[in-house]
Amino acid sequence: MFLTVNGEKFEHRGDGTVPALLAELGATPEHTAVTVNGELVFSKDWKSFKFNDGDTVEVLTFVGGG
Amino acid sequence: MKHETGNLKLGGHEFKSRLILGTGKFSDTETMIKAIEASGTELVTVALRRFNREKPSDDLCAPLAKLKNIRLMPNTSGAMNAKEAVRAAQLGRELSGSPFVKVEIHPNPHHLMPDAIETYLAAKELAADGFIVLPYIPADPVLAKKLEDVGCAAVMPLGAAIGSGGGLSTVDMIRLIIRDSNIPVIVDAGLRAPSEAARAMEMGCDAVLVNSAIAAARNPVDMARAFALGVETGYAARQAGLMPKSDVAVATSPLTSFLK
Repeated sequence: MFLTVNGEKFEHRGDGTVPALLAELGATPEHTAVTVNGELVFSKDWKSFKFNDGDTVEVLTFVGGG
Repeated sequence: MKHETGNLKLGGHEFKSRLILGTGKFSDTETMIKAIEASGTELVTVALRRFNREKPSDDLCAPLAKLKNIRLMPNTSGAMNAKEAVRAAQLGRELSGSPFVKVEIHPNPHHLMPDAIETYLAAKELAADGFIVLPYIPADPVLAKKLEDVGCAAVMPLGAAIGSGGGLSTVDMIRLIIRDSNIPVIVDAGLRAPSEAARAMEMGCDAVLVNSAIAAARNPVDMARAFALGVETGYAARQAGLMPKSDVAVATSPLTSFLK
C-alpha cells in the first residue's frame, strides 16, 4: 500500500503495522513516536493498529533543541 | 518566603542543579554529552523532528539515555499555535515518558518572540492534562501571574531573543515577575555570559535555561562548567543577602584623628 510518510510518498510492503513500517525505515521503535492522519498512535497500540492505503504518517524522534 | 532550600522544585520534583540545558546547536553529540556532564544539569530540553532516514544519527534518544540522573523536557518548537503545541507535547510525553514540557510557540522566525495568547491556551490545557508545564514567555508580569493561576510549574521569561546573546535586556520586567510569583521563575533565552546567569540568580531567579551560550562557545564543555559556577555563585550570593546600597561612602576603617 502507499502511505505518505514524513511528507513523501512511500510504498509499504509489510503487514500494515507500525513496527513493520519502522523496520522498513530503519527507525528504532523505542526512540520513535508516530502519528497517523494527525492522531498520535500510542506505542502500546502499535501491533494492533493497521494502516489504510493513503494514510498520512509522521515518524518523529528527538533531536537537539533549546 | 521563597528560595529557602537549596533545591529547585518543579511540579513535585526536586533538582540540585539550577541550570537547565538546551541541546540544540552543538557541533556533535559527543560535545553535547560532555557539556551536559560538565554543567551538572539534571534537566535538558529536546525537540521533536521528523525521523531522518539519511541521518539516523541525529536521534538523541540513545546518547541521552546513557546519562544518569538526567530528565528530559521536550519542547513544542515548531508549533504555530496552541493546538499544535498540545499535540507536540503529547508526542513528546509519549516518546520521553517525561511529564515535563517546555511550551514554546513563536510563529515569527525573524524575532522568535513567544505568542502570549497561544502559549497561555496551550499551557492551561496541558496543565489540566497533568503535564508539568514550563512556558517560555515574554517578560510580562501579568501573563506570568495568569500562567501561575492555571497551574504552570514555573514561568520562563526571556532575557533577550532566542540565540541572540542579548543578555538580560528584560531585567526590570523580570524583577516584577519575581516579586509577585509563587512559582519558580527561570530566565530562558538570550543569556550570553555566565555573569548574566549569576546576575539573574542574584536578583531572585530560581534557575536559568541556557543553550546557545554554551553550544556556540569556542569551548562548549568549559563554558558549561562556567555557567554552572555562575549559577551557583549567583544563588549563593542571593542566599547570603547583598549588603544595602548607599549613595555616599561608608567607611570600612575607623576615621580616628590620632595622626594629627
